[in-house]
Amino acid sequence: MSWMDNSLLNQIESYLHMASFREGLVANNIANIDTPKYHTRDIDFEGELRKAQMEPSGVFGPEVREVRGLVERPDGNNVDMDRESMLLAQSQLMYRLGVQLLRDHFKILQSAINDSQ
Amino acid sequence: MNLFGVLDLSASALQAQRQRAEVVASNLANAETTHTSQGGPYQKQLVVFGPERLRAGTFDVALASFNDIHMRGVRVERVVADQSPPVRRYEPGHPDADSDGYVSFPAINPIEEMVNLMSAARSYQMNVSAVQATKTMIQDAITILQ
Repeated sequence: MSWMDNSLLNQIESYLHMASFREGLVANNIANIDTPKYHTRDIDFEGELRKAQMEPSGVFGPEVREVRGLVERPDGNNVDMDRESMLLAQSQLMYRLGVQLLRDHFKILQSAINDSQ
Repeated sequence: MNLFGVLDLSASALQAQRQRAEVVASNLANAETTHTSQGGPYQKQLVVFGPERLRAGTFDVALASFNDIHMRGVRVERVVADQSPPVRRYEPGHPDADSDGYVSFPAINPIEEMVNLMSAARSYQMNVSAVQATKTMIQDAITILQ
């Protein structure tokens, strides 16, 4: 694999994209914690990531689904505060991991450039 | 939706929860108000949340709403007056007393209002956490450039 081959970059990019998309969904669930009849929405992170990496040229558009198995309150809302705060922290850390991987990738590239001089 | 859009989304929820807290405060303040400009005692107000309206118009907004149909934020859809009958108390000396000496007071239960206020405060805090998480992610993204 050469450094010009940027399939790794593409993979990290789709990972970051997916993590920030999920963060948005979690923020939306939290925002609607008191909206009557609102149902929790999420994506299948691993499945969608695999799909995005299979066809990197495809348009980014993960399938958003309503989460099953959550207890519905009398107003028809089923947002679980614990689940959402856990996912909020998780997607934040996943994003940071992606950023770090990207930085390391560029750092190696940078040192290759510098050492050749 | 980019991360700045997520900030806007959480901001919409902060605004909605703050409005809810304001309505609760107004209910508590008017718990003993026996006459209003519409006549009769003050009526307890309730907020109803709903999804944020999509602002039609610009191309950018139309495109964004097409992609982000799942992330629309929240707003106070309407404020409704509670229709429960007023509480009647016997106070013949009161200026708003009827011919039998009874005064109509608003049917406001302070405990119910305090619980509502606490719930609004908790939801507000939860959204502040979401804003902080999003902010940290934006800051992380900026470090790629360093």
